[in-house]
Amino acid sequence: MSSKYYGSRGSGAPSWYLQRVTGVVLFVVAIGHYILMHYHIDSGHTYDAVLARMQNPLYKMLQITFVVIGLYHGLSGTWNVFRDYKMPGWLSWTILGLLYTAGVAFAGLGIATILSF
Amino acid sequence: MQVTFRIQKYNPETDTTPYYKEFVVDGVDETWRVLDVLEKIKGSMDGTLTYRRSCAHGVCGSDGMRINGRNRLACSILLKDLNYRNVVTLEPLPSMPVIKDLVVDLSDFYKKYELVKPYLITKTNPPEAERLQSNEDAEKLFESAKCILCACCSTSCPSLWTNENYLGPAALLKAYRFTFDTRDEAPEERLDIVDTQDGIWRCHTIFNCIEACPKEINITWHISQLKKALVNREI
Repeated sequence: MSSKYYGSRGSGAPSWYLQRVTGVVLFVVAIGHYILMHYHIDSGHTYDAVLARMQNPLYKMLQITFVVIGLYHGLSGTWNVFRDYKMPGWLSWTILGLLYTAGVAFAGLGIATILSF
Repeated sequence: MQVTFRIQKYNPETDTTPYYKEFVVDGVDETWRVLDVLEKIKGSMDGTLTYRRSCAHGVCGSDGMRINGRNRLACSILLKDLNYRNVVTLEPLPSMPVIKDLVVDLSDFYKKYELVKPYLITKTNPPEAERLQSNEDAEKLFESAKCILCACCSTSCPSLWTNENYLGPAALLKAYRFTFDTRDEAPEERLDIVDTQDGIWRCHTIFNCIEACPKEINITWHISQLKKALVNREI
C-alpha cells in the first residue's frame, strides 16, 4: 500500500474520542467553576478565601484534574491543527516534541502550584 | 436575453498563468443551464474553450466546476438559479492541478477512491442465487449510493486544501457505502484503511462537502458513522 495517503498507521480513534470527552468535561467544569467562583454564597477571591478552599483535598483533586484535562484538550487540539498541514517528518516530530514538553512542563507547574497550598 | 460569462482560461502549452476571459452571449434564456451557455460559447465564440461534459443530465458527474464561487455541476444549474444579470464566473474545481481551462486532473481523486476498495468483498462461497439484502439494510445505503464522483465535495474541503494526503469526503463516503453493506465481508479491512492520521481523522465536520454535493448527500453524517464504528472498535 502506498504510504502517501495513509500517514501514521496508529488509530486516531482514541485521541478523537478523548478530545470530545475532555471537551464535554471542560464545558461542565467551566460552568461549575463560574457558578462556584462568581455566584456561590461562599465565593471569594482573596488569598485567604482561596487558601481556605484549597485545604479541601477534593477541591485540590478537582483543580489538578482541571489542569490535566485542560492541557490534554488544548495541546491535543493544537496538534490536530498542525496535523491538518502536510509537513516533512522532522518538522512533525519537532512540533510533537515541543507540545509534549510544554504539556509536561505546564502540568508540573500547575500541579506543584496546587499542591503548595 | 444577454448574459456575461467570465471564464478562467489556461493552456499550459502557451500560458504562464491562468487568466479570465469574458464572453457576452446573446440569445439565451433564463431557463438555460450553465452547460448550454458553455456549449454556445464553444460552438460559436471560442472553440478552444475546454471543459468536461458527458451525459449533461446530472448523472455522469463530468462537468463539476466552480460557478460563482461554489462547486456545482454546469448541467444542473439554470441561469435563473444564479445572479445572471451580473457576470457569471466559471473556474475549475479548486485544489486540483489544471489540465486546461475548466478541466482538472482528477488522478489523485480516483487513486483515493480506489484505496478504500469501492466494491463488495466476499470471502465465502457465493449462494446459488444472489446475495440477499433486506430492504431496511439497503435503505441505509441509498443516500451514499447516489454519489456520482463529480469531485465537488472533495475539492470544496479545506482539510484537503491544506493536506493533499487526506482521503477526502468522496472516498470516505464510498468507504461508508461498502463498509455498511451487509453483503460485504471485509468491513474491518476497509475500516483499517480509513483509520489513519491522513484518513478519516482529518475530517473536522466543516460541512462544505454537504453544501457542494449536487446530489444533496449528507456526507458528513456518513463520515460520522464511520468514526463511530472506529471508536466502538478501538475503545
